Amino acid sequence: MSVIMSEIEEEIPLIPQAAYSDAEKHEIFNREFMPHINSMYNFAFRLTMDEDDANDLVQDTYLKAFRFITSFEQGTNAKAWLFRILKNSFINDYRKRSKEPSKVDYQEVETTYNSEEAAEVDYTSDLRVEAVQDMIGDEVATALNSLPIDFRTVIILCDVEGFTYEEMAKILDIPIGTVRSRLHRARNLLKDKLREYAASMGYKTEE
Amino acid sequence: MYSSAPTETEKKPSKTYCEHHAECLKKIQAVLDGEATEVEKDHFRENMEECLHCIKMYHLEKCVKEVLQSKVDKKICPDNLLAAIKLKLNFTA
Repeated sequence: MSVIMSEIEEEIPLIPQAAYSDAEKHEIFNREFMPHINSMYNFAFRLTMDEDDANDLVQDTYLKAFRFITSFEQGTNAKAWLFRILKNSFINDYRKRSKEPSKVDYQEVETTYNSEEAAEVDYTSDLRVEAVQDMIGDEVATALNSLPIDFRTVIILCDVEGFTYEEMAKILDIPIGTVRSRLHRARNLLKDKLREYAASMGYKTEE
Repeated sequence: MYSSAPTETEKKPSKTYCEHHAECLKKIQAVLDGEATEVEKDHFRENMEECLHCIKMYHLEKCVKEVLQSKVDKKICPDNLLAAIKLKLNFTA
């Protein structure tokens, strides 16, 4: 309990509020939280890359959300609130036992990217719009899934779920400037993967 | 909202190399994400009128973003998960 409490306190300001009846809790839960379940499941799946883990992660998140429902301010951004709980649950409970050594990878990639930023690769010369448009969803998803998790996450939040930079900063507990730079790097990495893929498939890479 | 095609002004995009492409790319992304400041938007509009390289980057960024939004499969929450959550929370409906 204490672990969960501290974890929740990190993510939710515990505002003392009037206690809800069970019926009220259920009503808030259905009205505010349930509409986001497909987005939550999609996010969980993209993080864990596994249906069973996504099931567990979504279930844990919704149970936590219900347990701490009085900490949710009605009328505020329920989707961002839920995504934040899911992301923290993923880091605390799932990432540890994940096969992906994402923390190490991430730091490695970020260091590499920082050092290369001065001479940033120009992607436009060899990745054509037409090649990207010709790709099917699975091919793009494979490229996305191959990114280290922190980069994958910002692209999902921004481009798939349409969160603003400010919402992403809250969900990820990072400053907006970091959201911007991480997105920028994530997109460069993604284009890198798409370019490799396009080349391997023999898509025309030049006019 | 921002037309990327060269407009029918006398000024045609002529710059083919952009020495600031990394910075320009960040601004292009901010514009596409709806997060650009007024200064960034002005800079973006200027570049789109004169820099072929920026126009190219803009089209590629826009395309990648659109493909992510429209083509990447969105997983749907399975019915049994929905039922399990409701059961655990004692929901009847």
